[in-house]
Amino acid sequence: MPSPTVPEFSKSVKLKYVKLGYQYLVNHILTFLLVPVTLSIALQLIHSSPNDLLALWNSLHFDLVQVACSLFLIVYIATFYFLSRPRTIYLVDYACFKPPCSLRVPFATCLEHGRIILSSQPKAIQFQMRILERSGLGEETALPPAIHYLPPEPNMAAAREEAEMVIFSAMDSLLKKTGLKPKDIDILIVNCSLFSPTPSLSAMVVNKYKLRSNIKSFNLAGMGCSAGLISIDLARDLLQGHPNSNAVIVSTEILTPNCYMGNERSMLLPNCLFRMGGAAILLSNRWSDRKQAKYRLVHVVRTHKGAEDKAYRCVQQEEDPEGHVGISLSIDLMAIAADALKSNITTIGPLVLPASEQLLFLFSLLQRKIFKKKSKAYVPDFKQAFEHFCIHAGGRAVIDELQKNLQLSAEHVEASRMTLHRFGNTSSSSLWYEMSYIEAKGRMKRGDRIWQIAFGSGFKCNSAVWKCNKTIKAPIDDGPWVDCIERYPVYIPDVVKL
Amino acid sequence: MVSSDEQPLVHDIRLSTVGPGRVTGQDVVHEPTNMDQAMKLHYLRGVYYFKSQAVQGLTTSKIKESIFTWLNNFYHTCGGFRRAESGRPYIKCNDCGARFIEAQCVKTLDEWLQLEKDDDGSLRRMLVSNQVVGPELFFSPLVLLQITWFKCGGMSVGLSWAHVLGDAFSAADFMNSLGQVMAGHQLAQPLKLAQSHISAKISPSPPKSKDPLSVKRVGPVGDHWIAANNSKMKAFSFNLTSTQISHFHTKVCGQIGTNQIPFFECLCAVIWKVVAKIRDGPEPKMVTISKNDPHGRKNGILSNGQLISIVKADFSIMEANPKELAELVLNQAMDERSTIVEAVERDQGLSDLIVYGANLTFVDLEEADFYGLELKAQKPAYVGYTIDGVGDGGVVLLLPGPKDGPHNGGKVVTLIMPEDQVLKLKFELKKEFSIA
Repeated sequence: MPSPTVPEFSKSVKLKYVKLGYQYLVNHILTFLLVPVTLSIALQLIHSSPNDLLALWNSLHFDLVQVACSLFLIVYIATFYFLSRPRTIYLVDYACFKPPCSLRVPFATCLEHGRIILSSQPKAIQFQMRILERSGLGEETALPPAIHYLPPEPNMAAAREEAEMVIFSAMDSLLKKTGLKPKDIDILIVNCSLFSPTPSLSAMVVNKYKLRSNIKSFNLAGMGCSAGLISIDLARDLLQGHPNSNAVIVSTEILTPNCYMGNERSMLLPNCLFRMGGAAILLSNRWSDRKQAKYRLVHVVRTHKGAEDKAYRCVQQEEDPEGHVGISLSIDLMAIAADALKSNITTIGPLVLPASEQLLFLFSLLQRKIFKKKSKAYVPDFKQAFEHFCIHAGGRAVIDELQKNLQLSAEHVEASRMTLHRFGNTSSSSLWYEMSYIEAKGRMKRGDRIWQIAFGSGFKCNSAVWKCNKTIKAPIDDGPWVDCIERYPVYIPDVVKL
Repeated sequence: MVSSDEQPLVHDIRLSTVGPGRVTGQDVVHEPTNMDQAMKLHYLRGVYYFKSQAVQGLTTSKIKESIFTWLNNFYHTCGGFRRAESGRPYIKCNDCGARFIEAQCVKTLDEWLQLEKDDDGSLRRMLVSNQVVGPELFFSPLVLLQITWFKCGGMSVGLSWAHVLGDAFSAADFMNSLGQVMAGHQLAQPLKLAQSHISAKISPSPPKSKDPLSVKRVGPVGDHWIAANNSKMKAFSFNLTSTQISHFHTKVCGQIGTNQIPFFECLCAVIWKVVAKIRDGPEPKMVTISKNDPHGRKNGILSNGQLISIVKADFSIMEANPKELAELVLNQAMDERSTIVEAVERDQGLSDLIVYGANLTFVDLEEADFYGLELKAQKPAYVGYTIDGVGDGGVVLLLPGPKDGPHNGGKVVTLIMPEDQVLKLKFELKKEFSIA
């Protein structure tokens, strides 16, 4: 690559330093204002003698009652302020389900089964092969046992077995990691979009672990891949009202009942991308957990575009002309996702962006709206607000789109891409596999801010912002990446030769 | 075959796929040797029967999990065949997997074995897959495993093995290592096979243009690897007790003493005579002998290392003395392996040949460790093997008998012959072995 000519180079360097200077100035404006004021007061104090100060004090004519009342007022205001602050929600720890290697689905097996099952539809077979080649998935993703059969055997018993395998494994892992006793769980939220039996999956957890009879249990179904963050939001709101409590959230997607057996193209895509996965998360508002907790919840922002018909219908579960039930994805899914993301960013931006970026965004907005200048909307630089990004591994296209829109580097989206490669699209739990990847790589330091973005049917875009509470040292000795993290990151070609 | 009730004898059949637990990786291939290519139209079908004590507490999912660990060592058996530009087939190790079949049987193990005694071989067919490679080469599994559960809790494991992967001794080793994995042992990593070395070792002489006598050219079969037969082949077996064996041995060879001809050669001689007697047309003057070659195999590597030799008689078989015939088989067998390898090399691996059944073929599998597949440290109650893709010449297999219990020391003789010769053969052989 030819080195830039001297004027260009000096210009780019100058620009870089100008930018840095501007950011530093705006973000620390209060410091810059306060420092001279404090300095001048200090100088005054040094120059005046103690007698002068005493004379100043006496001239104010304070008496005991006034002093006492003002002190009381100050204490009252301070107490009111501290009490009305929202409780800090800590994420003590979380555990992800690691599928056994006997459930793995290599590409060749996927193709072979596809040919046998869809033997009368060569076009559908070709379509599936093309999707697999470009999907960004690896050869270690897992499907539940019932779907390995020729033909697949999706019945309710098998779905329950898969649920038990995934949820109990993640819960056992979580209980072991945190030392939590099942009887100490105050709130339980289970989210699983496509499988909702009676009794519910949360009842299944209560039964297996013999949870308390006064537990607050919830089961969220039908809310899509963004349901994990909806559960976090619900837990947060509940923990505001219940002091000294903890909440366990189980996020999963049960695939057994949802294997699409038809050949509509718009419905074949989920078959190729969705894979087994699940995560269990422990949240707490207890003061005693503040030292050992891994993360602190800073913000949760939820955006729902369901009011628009196009967004509402873009991910639709329905029957195809032959009566097979599947999830149909509309062709403008990406555009709707980008739109939902923009809405979400508009809300989350002011909460997380440093003042420098907000000012720039304001200027650009003013330019476009008031001065009617035809310039592109300024996309704030979110890399200044966050150290890590966990983008829901919904598919290669989603990650590519977000990387482009948010101007992220390859390293920022590495966790998402590698999760998609190793585990596939595990729906609401994929964010937790991505967090686990970042931890396993030893990149999670105390004070780091993480942005989790999830999309889901409806159409919803939900974000959560976490702050790392303690540095997590690699190598970690458990977790879903423990035996393969050295192999990552891998190069994922655009098209895999099958 | 349907029993008197509505339910077929073997029912509830479920198919799935098993493969290696580890990712093999991109662009890993396995090139079959010339000897492997010569055997590609043959298939081994073996069934291992286990009593319920050996499989108590075992579930299909536990077996599957062990299989994934086991196949890490044999990932090339889980690949699919492709053709190189020259047309020569090779295996792409893409983890496509082996087929796994689960089935239930309405009979108990003992009832089933009893039924098999009077059966013509079609019952055993239900316990093992009879699939062949092709017509779609890419997606044909090379190994098919069937687990059948009997009413009493016993189990049978049916192995369908493409002979291109290895001979019966290799297949036995392959299955035995499954038992080791299920018992929790770690398998040693097999040495990497140096393909070209082995074929070079066997062919030091300059290439001859003559075709080997022990093979027959068939086809072309294209991508469907099974040769057509003129007559339908049927399999039947005799279980021989050690008493019957020593009786027979003495009858053929005279008193037991030094310079004794082994049982296998005596068996060959007697059956050769019987076949010569009952067959219409000219009597077979050549037979193919297949035996184990202990030097041809390295531990853990699957290969077609068996010895293949041809025996030619220039006298009348029907009138020959069995002992002389046995001595001929023992001493005058000519190793044909290098000729076969050269013939395949000349055709660049594109030839379609059959070895078993090109002539009347005798296969000595006494040394195959079929009973080495142990579940819960227990050997199988019985193991039966047969070969598919056999030519009209017919095949005689000598298998080891069960190792435990009252049948210790016994052997099993399995014959795969054209249908029209089966009755006569059974009659004559029962006479020879003094079987009631």
